[in-house]
Amino acid sequence: MNTVLDVQKLTKKYGDYLATDKVTFNIAEHTSTALIGPNGAGKTTTLSMLAGLVTPTNGSIQFQDHSVKDIRSLIGFLPQYPKFFHWLSALEYTEMAARLNGLETKNAVMEAKKTLEFVGIGNVMKKKIGTFSGGMKQRLGLAQAIVHQPKLLLLDEPVSALDPVGRRQVMELLKELQQKTTILYSTHILNDAEQMTDQLLFLRNGKLVENGSLDEVRNRYANPRIVIEFESIEERKRFESLITWEVTSKDLSISLAVDQPNVSMHQVLTILQSNNCSVRKVEHQTASLEEIFMKVAVI
Amino acid sequence: MDLSIIPWRLILPVLVLQLILMFVALVDVIRHQRTKGPFVIWIFIIIFVNVLGPIIYFVFGRRQQ
Amino acid sequence: MRELGVLMKKELREHIRNYKVLWIPIVFIIFGILQPVSNHFLPEIMQSVGNMPDDVEFVWPELSGEDIFYSLVGQYQIVGILVIILAFMGSIAGERKNGTATLIYIRPMSFRNYFLSKWLVVNGVVLSSVWLGFFAAWYYIAILYNNLNTKDAIAFICTYSLWIVFVVTIVLALSTMLPTGGVAATAILITIVYPVIESIIGAYWTVSPWKLSSYANDWFIHDIDRMNLYKSAVLTVIAIVFLIIVGISMSRRNASKTTI
Repeated sequence: MNTVLDVQKLTKKYGDYLATDKVTFNIAEHTSTALIGPNGAGKTTTLSMLAGLVTPTNGSIQFQDHSVKDIRSLIGFLPQYPKFFHWLSALEYTEMAARLNGLETKNAVMEAKKTLEFVGIGNVMKKKIGTFSGGMKQRLGLAQAIVHQPKLLLLDEPVSALDPVGRRQVMELLKELQQKTTILYSTHILNDAEQMTDQLLFLRNGKLVENGSLDEVRNRYANPRIVIEFESIEERKRFESLITWEVTSKDLSISLAVDQPNVSMHQVLTILQSNNCSVRKVEHQTASLEEIFMKVAVI
Repeated sequence: MDLSIIPWRLILPVLVLQLILMFVALVDVIRHQRTKGPFVIWIFIIIFVNVLGPIIYFVFGRRQQ
Repeated sequence: MRELGVLMKKELREHIRNYKVLWIPIVFIIFGILQPVSNHFLPEIMQSVGNMPDDVEFVWPELSGEDIFYSLVGQYQIVGILVIILAFMGSIAGERKNGTATLIYIRPMSFRNYFLSKWLVVNGVVLSSVWLGFFAAWYYIAILYNNLNTKDAIAFICTYSLWIVFVVTIVLALSTMLPTGGVAATAILITIVYPVIESIIGAYWTVSPWKLSSYANDWFIHDIDRMNLYKSAVLTVIAIVFLIIVGISMSRRNASKTTI
């Protein structure tokens, strides 16, 4: 796959404060990459540097297309809190955005209309932005970021401000957009990241601490285990006496790590069955992204 | 004071301009009701402070975002 | 050119929709009308108000139309310039502060066009206001006093306009580097307070942009040496070009200060 963006040792210092520290990664074409990490990890700083708003102290940002003079023409950017000229209509604003990105007047109007329809505010495109709700502004923010069909779409917390319905709708739009462009977005809503991500970048204190596909990262932290819930505590204790594995038990359930010798679902089920244990539930569990997040963030 | 000595015909344009200023400021306040401070006070300022009222409103009273 | 046009259209729409294209000309026109009218009728009004001892004979100076025209500059120098500063101090600083500039700066546009679009449109609004004000005064002066010589009056207004462009450029250049409040304070110091101080303590130089507004009156005085006026005009143009260059480079350098 083609690499769209190659970032090497990207560093930003504000005085003594290291906002990002030698962040290195690259992004392949037509993929979506989630940038996750706790508040203050450097997500917004990273995106702002890629968007050309903030000059890096050190490091390099390389786009695949070397012929372009101004890298800003390859990028669409949606800040976390997009601010618009409230006295313009959505159509006027989007048209201006398109024109500043080099589209001709006629084309700009056409593309602006098409994009506003696509993000779902076509019916209010002649209304002043000042009258828009938060959700409508977020959609307009998306429209101004994609109207010129950028090679790389940078989104800072694109759905965090939306209600669950709006969130779902915008995620659907993003999935659709992924067919046409490459997406790098930050989020702290891990459920979203789980839904749509080919690559996971984990920032902590300005450092990139994890980088890989969702499955890779998951396997690294998965900590797979079998969890059994018994009918009674006596039953649980009886089962514990039958086995030699290390377990952690709590109330009715016990959990045993799969990385011990001879632990397997088959083994466990055989023991349960041959001893007539009464169980409610037997489950194979791996860590959710949220658990991984907690693990990586707290270290 | 004898009002007849004031050249009304000459300063009529000034009065008209003042009215336009006042009218536009009032329409803006009432339509948007987005002012720094309570908008009722702005209505009073616009109506009762001659010439300067609407200008003070346009410069200081309109809330941008 | 396309980019400059797009940005100028945005600026123009802004000043139409926040009514600046309406109220700024009205302010200048009201002053332009009131100056000749109030001067002409002041003696009569004072007399009718009474309160003056009978034996005191007030001698009102005999003013010419040219004097009234020039006295209008005195009004514009404080109120007019204050209006310009307050109306446009936030042109760039405000956009950065409220974050609306962010979505402009991420586009492949040049900061030269960004600054020039504002410079051209603000000057357009302000100069039309100043000219309308002077035309209104001219008309009333023709009715109440004497007609002004067209060539002299136009030369007068052009000279004063150069000073106004200088003021606008200062305000916009400051707006690229300071927050809105700082722009207002600094601009008031440079364009309103400093000339007053200079006129009190006297200055030993004769070529200066701050002298343009008084040199404008020289056009009504014939057979006078205008060398200082010409030199000041050239110096002002140079200063304007310099400030534009500073404004462009500072708006580029401070782009990252925009609220993201």
